[in-house]
Amino acid sequence: MPTKKTIKSAFESMMFVWGEPLDAKIAADAMGIDKSEASEYFKELRREYEEQGRGIRIREINGKFQFVTSEENFDYIRSVCTPVRERRLSQAALETLAIVAYKQPVTKSEIDSVRGIKSDRVLEGLMKKGLVEERGRSSAIGRPTLYGTTEAFLANFDLKTVKDLPAIEDIEDAIHFEEAKTTVEIRQTSLDLEQ
Amino acid sequence: MSYKVKLNIFEGPFDLLVYLIENAEMSIYDIRVSEITSQYLRHIEMMREQDVMVGADFLVLAATLIELKSKMLLPRIKADGEIEEDPRAELAQKLIEYSKFKKLAAALEEQMDFAALKLVKPKEDLTPYTGEPDEYLLLDTEHFIAAFKAFIYKKRKNEEILYIQNRAGRERMSVAAKKSSIRRFLQKAKDRFVRFRELLSPESDRCDKVVTFVSLLEMIKSGLASVRQSGNFKEIEVTFKSSER
Repeated sequence: MPTKKTIKSAFESMMFVWGEPLDAKIAADAMGIDKSEASEYFKELRREYEEQGRGIRIREINGKFQFVTSEENFDYIRSVCTPVRERRLSQAALETLAIVAYKQPVTKSEIDSVRGIKSDRVLEGLMKKGLVEERGRSSAIGRPTLYGTTEAFLANFDLKTVKDLPAIEDIEDAIHFEEAKTTVEIRQTSLDLEQ
Repeated sequence: MSYKVKLNIFEGPFDLLVYLIENAEMSIYDIRVSEITSQYLRHIEMMREQDVMVGADFLVLAATLIELKSKMLLPRIKADGEIEEDPRAELAQKLIEYSKFKKLAAALEEQMDFAALKLVKPKEDLTPYTGEPDEYLLLDTEHFIAAFKAFIYKKRKNEEILYIQNRAGRERMSVAAKKSSIRRFLQKAKDRFVRFRELLSPESDRCDKVVTFVSLLEMIKSGLASVRQSGNFKEIEVTFKSSER
């Protein structure tokens, strides 16, 4: 009968060998426990690594777990090797990605409508980068394709789930448009056409 | 191959419009339509002067602005005294929505920069663990000896073939030499014909025979010799034709 300690130890070994985000379900099946229990153990492990300030941390992506380096050590890692930073996304790509991430599942025309410009090319680029994927079709007229973000997106942005995206409310507050609303005035209230 | 050259910083018509509004320090809810419209049109004109392809999307917004401008001139009080909705409301809503996502895009960019500090070990090649297990040699001595013999036999055969190949290469180089030696031989025989077998030395192997034959064919082609054969597998009689004739 595996104890909590041996299960957690097994999970560490599995994550180490697997490299990619390890599905809690697979790990749970291997140990003969259920997924929620396995997730608990993974989270416990993650806490332990954090509390002990280890150079390797555990990251959760979409119910999967993976070893990553601690962000504090980035500069030190750079002295052994220069990690290639992925090419930055263009402003257009970021805008489109933000729309897809926050409104998913979303159609191309919805994206176009927010940006006020056709986004086909940009969307294509994001799909090629593996950040955006098709998510079936909308039931609207013409059954347009729906788009959503991928697991690679979560990994690239270090997010557990899409719910962890920077809060949309904070952004709205930051824009301060709401105050302006009160100043709306009607400049011209009447025009006497009979004169 | 197409080249995309980006000359202006505006990602779309909304981007440009929001920039102009912010620049003029206007409230998005209270756009001075006339002022903004002329600025917007001026900007599009500028883009054209710089040979920038102005997308249709920019023109659509220009049309919307002009429409708004005209609507602003009309009274907004209906017959029953009710005030109509501000015609700018829809555009304002769109611009706010756009600005929101522009801000979110900036937040995402920050998040991405932060995430880039965490490194992941790339998945290693797991085939040593998952691939086919190594094959064991389940052989007794006899099998082993037989296998070794087969190997030696194959090796010897290969060497033999290699030797023949090398020789064939060498002999082929000497067709010209062979031709002159045949010629000398035939000249000595004067007008008498010579049997083909006389051209071959007793120790000549298959390779030498072939080279001799090929040389002879070439001589026939260039009119230096003629041959006659009375029937299949009979002697080939070769006669020399001196070039003077």
